[in-house]
Amino acid sequence: MNLFFLLLPFFFAPVWLVGKTQKLAELLMPEYRLNGPSFGEVLGAGEEHILQSVVGLYRNEKLIAHGVIVHPQGFILSKASSSVGARMIKSFQGKTFPIRIRKRNEGTDLALWQITSSSVPWKAVTWKDEHNQTQPGNWVISAAASIQNLNFGVVSATSRPIGREGGVMGVLLEESNSSARGIQVIEVLPQAAGDRAGLRVSDSILRMDGRPVRTMENINRILQTKDPGDLLTLLVNRKNEEVVLRVTLGHRAVAFDLFNRNLLMSGPVSKRKDNFPVIIQQDLPLQKEMMGGGLFNLQGHCLGINIARVDRVTNYTLPTHVILPTLNMWLQDLP
Amino acid sequence: MKANNFWVFLGKAIACTLPPLATLLSGYGQDQAKVVPAWEKELPESIGDLQAIQSEVQSKLQKVRPTVVSVEAEDGAGSGVVVTADGLILTAAHVIGESGRKMNVVFPNGYEVEALSLGGSELSDAGMLKIIEKGEWEYAPIALANSSGVGDWCFALGHPSGYDEKRGLVLRVGRIIRKKDETIQTDCRLLGGDSGGPLFSIDGRIIGIHSRISQSPEDNFHTSIESFLSNWEFFLHEELHTFGAMQKGGFLGVLCEESEDGLYVVEVVPGTPAEDAGIRAGDLFRQLDGAPLDTREKLSILVSSKPPGSFIVIDYLRDEKEISVRIKLGERFAKE
Repeated sequence: MNLFFLLLPFFFAPVWLVGKTQKLAELLMPEYRLNGPSFGEVLGAGEEHILQSVVGLYRNEKLIAHGVIVHPQGFILSKASSSVGARMIKSFQGKTFPIRIRKRNEGTDLALWQITSSSVPWKAVTWKDEHNQTQPGNWVISAAASIQNLNFGVVSATSRPIGREGGVMGVLLEESNSSARGIQVIEVLPQAAGDRAGLRVSDSILRMDGRPVRTMENINRILQTKDPGDLLTLLVNRKNEEVVLRVTLGHRAVAFDLFNRNLLMSGPVSKRKDNFPVIIQQDLPLQKEMMGGGLFNLQGHCLGINIARVDRVTNYTLPTHVILPTLNMWLQDLP
Repeated sequence: MKANNFWVFLGKAIACTLPPLATLLSGYGQDQAKVVPAWEKELPESIGDLQAIQSEVQSKLQKVRPTVVSVEAEDGAGSGVVVTADGLILTAAHVIGESGRKMNVVFPNGYEVEALSLGGSELSDAGMLKIIEKGEWEYAPIALANSSGVGDWCFALGHPSGYDEKRGLVLRVGRIIRKKDETIQTDCRLLGGDSGGPLFSIDGRIIGIHSRISQSPEDNFHTSIESFLSNWEFFLHEELHTFGAMQKGGFLGVLCEESEDGLYVVEVVPGTPAEDAGIRAGDLFRQLDGAPLDTREKLSILVSSKPPGSFIVIDYLRDEKEISVRIKLGERFAKE
């Protein structure tokens, strides 16, 4: 399965542009759209309440991520892999403050930053952890501190853990009949990791990272511990000669051409979008620089941290109950 | 802005406190003034309005959830929605590809059945499938023609990027941005794999079928349910109406615009059977061979499913006079 149906609107133009006399079709003006400029006003005072607790994180004057204020002393939580190298934050009033990193956690991809030059008490978010507020159809809100704008959307699918994607070689393998000969390569996908490392059809993989492999199970177990970008050393039998190959593992999506067109229609997505203990899925129209920011309910309470932009219709949010144990431990650690 | 909002709010408050005249006159014991549901307001006015929209979507979601299927073929995956108890599925023309094709249908609970593609039209991107297995299937209701319009709240369901057991169906909530001829545009963002999935009105009836997108997040296009309603029997029993078939079929030579009374001719192409028959811009087409003309697609299907050289009878209105004309169809010009 390597194609998902959706037409590009190439024949949408002729459908609507008929005749010169035709008046413009009735159009819903932007201010009435769900993410139109005035929609946030429905929250009243809540709009500013949300905006106050969200900041943009900058590296070399460039917005790279968002974050939420989690402590009056200016501690900020953000997405670790997106906020690498951040130097300053900008509040929703447009004021900038220098920051430095204090903690980071690989498992949740969270990082704790601290504002270094401010004595003002900061307004921290109010956390909310209620399962019934994160069911499909529940309104959720995210705030762009930089442009003082709220985005509205809904929880769009079932909350669930997101497994590790794992690195892939981009080859098709088959267990050979005689176990002594390792695992046979029966197809090499062009331009994928295996191809670039020089792997060929009818090579037999004998060892991976020094460990003998005799079954597909052996191979899968090793690959599951590897991420895209990791290096894997193969010992290969090629025409009765032993060859050593080094494969830099690739992304599943890229190797198998699986989501390529969907990614094209999605624009830039988060680099890390796998391996989370549990996520809330929502349909907010967010750019990848919005990750690290908070997800709020209609009352302005924080339901979690937006942790990955996956595609045009999918964002993941790390829920409050996953965040708080780590955050509380970090805050206790600090002076 | 703040002051403005205040006055809008105050105006609404007064409107709400004063019962309409009819209520005052109808006397004691009658119902209270009718409250406008949140989703019928121009914009939600309060958090309560948003919550009302949310409850409505969530209750309808529970009802229609079991009817939204993933449609799989060797060359891709789309979505669809069951609309009859005997397993008729609405989907997109580009999901079925052709008539008489066996496809795999996966229900949200993982249950898989085989289905056979019926007909549809590439013009509007409407398609139909029928589940082969006998059974009593859960199905979603279809909206009446012309019951949806610009500004209406709606929700989209589908299986973007294919069926995913743990994730399940994916919901999107938005409003109708534009509705014209066979197409509805919404801000319910779609992705590959959603194609053929249903767009629901807030009262849980199918108003469209997902069709196409562009990179802008608000460019999400759906085939309107009117296309299906207008051509139901044709889609059900005839071969998929393709662009190829349209090129080879009969040709009339008019450009039309849909209206509530019929099809307005906006342009007559010179040197075509339409011009020879005396059709003029401004004429209102009512019927073709006795069949009412309510969509442009129907006109296209009725004309091009006949061979060039065959005759049709068109009833039209000019200056409030009813005219009936017999026209010999021509051949479509070769594209340059």
